[in-house]
Amino acid sequence: MEDFERQLRNALARKEQPPSFEAEVFAAIAAGASSRRSFWRWEAVAASALMAAAFWAQHEHAIRDRAAGEAAKSRLQLALKITVTELSKIQQTVRTSTEE
Amino acid sequence: MVPASSAMEAKAEAAPGMTFAEMLKANQSMVFSLAYHLLRDRGAAEEVAQDVFLRLFRKIDDLESEKHATFWLRRVTSHRCIDYVRKRGSRFTIALEDTAEPSIAGEPGDPLLNRRLRQLIAALPEKPRMVMVLRYQEDLTPEEISSVLEMPVRTVKSHLHRSLAILREKIERSMGEIR
Repeated sequence: MEDFERQLRNALARKEQPPSFEAEVFAAIAAGASSRRSFWRWEAVAASALMAAAFWAQHEHAIRDRAAGEAAKSRLQLALKITVTELSKIQQTVRTSTEE
Repeated sequence: MVPASSAMEAKAEAAPGMTFAEMLKANQSMVFSLAYHLLRDRGAAEEVAQDVFLRLFRKIDDLESEKHATFWLRRVTSHRCIDYVRKRGSRFTIALEDTAEPSIAGEPGDPLLNRRLRQLIAALPEKPRMVMVLRYQEDLTPEEISSVLEMPVRTVKSHLHRSLAILREKIERSMGEIR
């Protein structure tokens, strides 16, 4: 049994890693750090774009609201003008009939 | 070698007395060998070992001592190898006879017998294989293997007993065929 176990220890002795292994680990760490940094850069750009889009949408909405308000105001002014004209006509008619 | 960045230097004294670079130097052969004996594929072993050290780099602040770091490395390597085999599934089948072995200068014992034993161990299911590698590569006790693999001691002993019986039987049969 001991002999067989010794043979197993021989068979499973540690192997040498490739000579470039250590350098590759450091390179992978450096690459990971730089890709994380660039991820944050992209995230900042995306956040700025989103904020700009939200601001633009809000601005457009305000412009549309203002235009709608202006249109309503014009319609009201027109209606008032018509009413004043009509009232003047009625007043004129009443005045004429009173003089007669 | 790629020069260490300031982030790497900042991790200098994480596990008392050892820098990341020293830990890498001290444990790379252990991690690579565990992965190699488990996966029997040099490229896959390098890939897993590299991933384990990247995890160590991120985790190093939480490790309390060299002993803790070694224990952590054995545990993470074992689990990563088992995951690797499962993920690859049936695609991860190696023609063992064709596998190129890393050369070991002055390998102890009979090289042919060693090779045959490695092939037979590689044919075991992944958990018994991992138990055998931790026992005979790392010389861990069944109790230590149990805590690395998070498996009851009884299961570890049973894997060892069964695997040894299988290997002994197969190696005797091979010897008989040779004679």
